[in-house]
Amino acid sequence: MRVIDLALKDLCQILRDRKAALFLVIMPLTFTFFFGMVSGGFGRAEDPRLPVGLVEHDQGSILSTGLENLLKASDTVRPVLLEKDKADEADELVRTEKLAGAVIVPAGFSEQVLRGQAVGLTFIANGDTSAGKMAGRGVQAAVSRLLGAVETARLSAETLEGKAAFESDAARQAYVEEALGLANEAWLKPPITTTTEKARGTLRGREDGTNDGLLQASPGMIVQFAVFGLVTSAMVFVVERKSKTLQRLLTTPISRAGIIAGHVLAMFTVAFLQIMLLVIVGQFVFGVDYLREPLAILLMAAALALWAAALGLLIGAVSKAEDQVVTWSLIAMFVFAAMGGAWFPLEVTGRAFATVGHFMPTAWAMDGLQNIVLRGLDFGSVLMPAAILTGYAAAFFALALWRFRFE
Amino acid sequence: MKILAIAFKDVARSFRSPFTLALMLGAPLLITALLYFAFGGPATSGSGFQLPKTRVQVANLDQPNQQASGLAAGQLLVDSLQAKDVANLVQVTRAPDEVSARAAVEDRKADVAIIIPPNFGAVAVSPAAHAAITLYQDPTLTVGPGIVKGLVDQFVDGFAGDKIATEVVAAQLSKRGVSMDMATTQRVAMDYAAWLQGARHYQSGTSALVTLNPRAPAGAPDRGNEVKTMTGSVMAGMMIFFAFFMGANSAESIIREDEEGTLARLFTTPTSRTVILGGKLVSVFLTLAIQIAMLLVAAIVLFGTHWGDSLAVTLSAIGLVAAAAGFGVLIMSFIKNTRQAGPVMGGLLAIMGMLGGLFTSTIPNAPTVLDAVSLATPHGWAMRCWKIALNGGTAGDVFSSFAVLASMGALFFAVGVVLFRKRFA
Repeated sequence: MRVIDLALKDLCQILRDRKAALFLVIMPLTFTFFFGMVSGGFGRAEDPRLPVGLVEHDQGSILSTGLENLLKASDTVRPVLLEKDKADEADELVRTEKLAGAVIVPAGFSEQVLRGQAVGLTFIANGDTSAGKMAGRGVQAAVSRLLGAVETARLSAETLEGKAAFESDAARQAYVEEALGLANEAWLKPPITTTTEKARGTLRGREDGTNDGLLQASPGMIVQFAVFGLVTSAMVFVVERKSKTLQRLLTTPISRAGIIAGHVLAMFTVAFLQIMLLVIVGQFVFGVDYLREPLAILLMAAALALWAAALGLLIGAVSKAEDQVVTWSLIAMFVFAAMGGAWFPLEVTGRAFATVGHFMPTAWAMDGLQNIVLRGLDFGSVLMPAAILTGYAAAFFALALWRFRFE
Repeated sequence: MKILAIAFKDVARSFRSPFTLALMLGAPLLITALLYFAFGGPATSGSGFQLPKTRVQVANLDQPNQQASGLAAGQLLVDSLQAKDVANLVQVTRAPDEVSARAAVEDRKADVAIIIPPNFGAVAVSPAAHAAITLYQDPTLTVGPGIVKGLVDQFVDGFAGDKIATEVVAAQLSKRGVSMDMATTQRVAMDYAAWLQGARHYQSGTSALVTLNPRAPAGAPDRGNEVKTMTGSVMAGMMIFFAFFMGANSAESIIREDEEGTLARLFTTPTSRTVILGGKLVSVFLTLAIQIAMLLVAAIVLFGTHWGDSLAVTLSAIGLVAAAAGFGVLIMSFIKNTRQAGPVMGGLLAIMGMLGGLFTSTIPNAPTVLDAVSLATPHGWAMRCWKIALNGGTAGDVFSSFAVLASMGALFFAVGVVLFRKRFA
């Protein structure tokens, strides 16, 4: 009972502080909304493909038009036509990252290629940016298809010539152009394609494909701010130690373990309520389906809150002043959030970083939350992440108790 | 002289505080370092950086096609995925059927399942037929499945090109009353395949007939590699964010001293209030100038960042100091006590930094509306200056953004000073 009284006192103290609303609620919601929007979480009116400038000095020719159409059909890039006389602008637009790349088609391109003469297409890109590299791959694919069409036309003409000679060069030229037209058209709807499906478990068929950004941002911000929220709750330890309240509490009938338990219970409650609030807002405002497995989400929220409380106790134990609580909370947030995959999926990082990252408790928290909202898995899928988080909580508690001083 | 003495005292106090140092230098460098190492760090300059291997399960339902001389197209695709040159990217295992391949992804034993349909090889010889290879992937992954899709697409494009070639030849011959026999079909297919093979040997996958000649845009700096480029942008964003934070933190010393009573004591000394306040405001500029200089050098030493043209960098740094100091003085002039300062610094500056695009500078193809929104904040103008410098812009290129940023700083500073003078009149 005394433990609960102490916890209620802490909760009142935390919730009376206006900073709590900012750090526990407003900032995580704002960040979720923003990062969800940036990553296309609310759908996007704009074409999401990378813009690639196209300067056609051979405008209207069959190959130049073919290339333009193949770029238009690309999954990766979209052509932005630039005026011929503003070719210099292409450099500037790419350098300032307004375009991911730019292709310059030289004059006489089509004629030279059809005569079998080698031609170079200039591709301007910042090769040291991911956008530049992706754009390069998209343009490469379109050029390869265009060349496939050219080869098709050559083979077709050669095959007909093997059976009957062309009446004239003009007839051969017309035949080749017809073949190019047919091949280019066929490439716009290739006979063999690849389709991608995502393993969404019981969510299959319910996804609208627009909220993938939020499915990373929302759990990521829940995990990040569960740690950052400790700024408010771990502060209580330092304030009580500095004001000698902790020492005074020792003169009361409550045991040392009871005092620590009361404070930890308050931190757990704050973290749990914060997580559940973000889950509910995520569900009803951002459309992230946490509540499809209510028991699983409760278990994950409890396990994450338990670990956060243990971390809070550790921060409270090692901090001697208020500013140290802020510093340790910030460092914990940066390290655990970044390395645990709350900011970006660990699979996009290097092999060594991803391996280390998977040892972070936050990586298991992300795993459990994403099993529910992204992979569409059931209650069983969160048992392992929750158990590992609880194990981490026990380890952090042990470390905090070892370091904890009442005075 | 008294102005400088007061300013140096405040600067020394800032640099003696571990908390201030952590926010001034530690936090921006820590965040940048985390991202630097996440995306390869120094390993990117050699062959040390390796993405995690993507685990692929292939369910090849295709059977050798007797009509096409026993063509085992599905097996060819599997072989291409098991080739030595991609062994470091994908780890391929065979699944007996589609259900078990999909189950492997769902049970997280594989990252991607490739389902090769039964008619894959038959499509090659069946006019107007269509086949689709299904990639079934873990929804939390993007890069690994993207690599697998790239490899499969490359193979499929070769196969589709072969089919398009034979169909176009057949259609054209047919139009001219010439029938295409099996031998001709096979010859066209083989010639196309031989051409493709040669083309793929050529650099970048195109034939010598048309080459794609990549070059950097004119005036772009050599920034080393992708990680260094990314690190430069991240570091610029963090430097701006924590400069504004420090601007407010330094300006907060006026309020702190007012609360502690030391400001009132200073006012009793034979030093005018203007000089005392002036000294405190000079300390804000000095602190920021030292912070930015140290971060610029640290980024060069630790991450090999190429900041760009020295004059452009100098202008960007001056603009940042002016704007961050001015903004810090302005917001602190509205604050009544240090209790209010925490949420304002933590909340307002974080949200403004976010709107200013400081945390999203490396996201390719972000919505264009963000660019417009970012320019409503001094953070956005500061980021614009640094982006221009990082992209190889000259002082002339930076100047207009610098002018806006410096003007904003001057305006913020003037309003803040007027409000402070009123408060302590």
